[in-house]
Amino acid sequence: MTTTAKKWLERIHALPLEGVTKIMNVCGGHERSITMAGLRKVLPDEIELVPGPGCPVCICPEEDVFEAIQLALNEDIILIAFGDMLRVPVNVSKTRARTLEQAKAAGADIRPIATPREAVDIAAQNPDKAVVFFAAGFETTTAPVASMLVQGVPKNLFILLSGRLTWPAVAMLLDSGQAAFQTLIAPGHVATVMGPEEWQFVPEEHKMPAAVAGFSPESLLAAMYSVLRQRVEGKAFLDNCYPELVRAGGNPTAQAQLKTSMDVVDANWRGIGVIPQSGFALSEAYAQHNARKQFPSYAEDARKRAGEMPPGCDCAKVVLGQIYPDQCRLYANACVPRNPVGPCMVSDEGACRIWWSGGVRKNAVS
Amino acid sequence: MCLGIPMQVKSIDQYQAICEAKGIERDVSLFMLQDEDIRPGDFVVVHVGYAIQKISQQEAQSAWEVYDQMLAAEDALAEELVDAPGA
Ligand code: SF4
Repeated sequence: MTTTAKKWLERIHALPLEGVTKIMNVCGGHERSITMAGLRKVLPDEIELVPGPGCPVCICPEEDVFEAIQLALNEDIILIAFGDMLRVPVNVSKTRARTLEQAKAAGADIRPIATPREAVDIAAQNPDKAVVFFAAGFETTTAPVASMLVQGVPKNLFILLSGRLTWPAVAMLLDSGQAAFQTLIAPGHVATVMGPEEWQFVPEEHKMPAAVAGFSPESLLAAMYSVLRQRVEGKAFLDNCYPELVRAGGNPTAQAQLKTSMDVVDANWRGIGVIPQSGFALSEAYAQHNARKQFPSYAEDARKRAGEMPPGCDCAKVVLGQIYPDQCRLYANACVPRNPVGPCMVSDEGACRIWWSGGVRKNAVS
Repeated sequence: MCLGIPMQVKSIDQYQAICEAKGIERDVSLFMLQDEDIRPGDFVVVHVGYAIQKISQQEAQSAWEVYDQMLAAEDALAEELVDAPGA
């Protein structure tokens, strides 16, 4: 740990904290940094760091993954997706493909990509084939998809968009009155793109201390100190502990590109349900690239129990910060990274997988 | 998925740049930063192949120290998964 990080830690230890304070983060990158740097072990016992809705793969609706699998299996297309999505399971009988990876093994043309530019390249290289880009992600990932569209894409590229906004999930938690945390650390790269102002509602409407943090232990500890000190002093404002990247207003060019190509709509979150104004959908101007409009829907009503997780999987509670990963009965038992049961163990941003990588190898309840 | 990586701009061809970090070069789109003045030698934070913001060299360096730590831990897991019997 660097000297600056140690200094922040000392300051945190010197605060006159009373009772337990829970600090929620809403970014898989934050959770990774916290876990890998071992911050939980060095903070005072009264501070609990709660991973929240920070994993876009985990909350991507089951029906969207199902749709992508069915499109890949039944249509004459190339399906591309960010690599993380390939192992996310849906709830179907064992005889059917449960993941994109299994659909690929069954003969579907499915290719993982690392950037939307690859989607454009693959479509350009296969002009006679329809290419469907299953694009799941939060603002930081959806903005590049918007940028790609605005710059111009081949006719044969279609987007199966599953983009989500992070702040409405936090707003939903706070509005429910059941938020099990007292302070919030806001996601640094989401704020870099969208601007920190999006998080102003946390202190203003809910009188809850908040701070935008970067990904170094220094920045995270500075943000923790900020929200804890606000709490001790009975204040609530939005601090920016990542000023090197997060500017007032964010990245206006990226926001303009999002606005041109996408609308903000009510959207379903896996295991959570519909959250108002929390999703991106392609705007009318881009309807010719909208896979949802250009291909038949494979939704099966009988199967469509909204927001379902695999049986026994507590991802929904993990994502909402209601339990810690190792409190799911399957953690480290039936569910391990080699054989993941739920999406939180599949994705690098999933709290279950992060905790496992960080060395938590035992179940806390069984 | 929301973690951007700092890279140095090596060359620019309109909206596409070649950027480098840790000796690895990548094509990076500058389309989201088209209203900023970006030149070879500058540092940018790159997410899924798109530069999302400029960053100073010093900040790029300190960010890399953190990522090295994270990546090492994840590599260890990846190896464990490969080595594991029945994987
Ligand atoms: S441990 Fe596995 S089953 Fe349990 S919540 Fe996490 S991903 Fe789901």
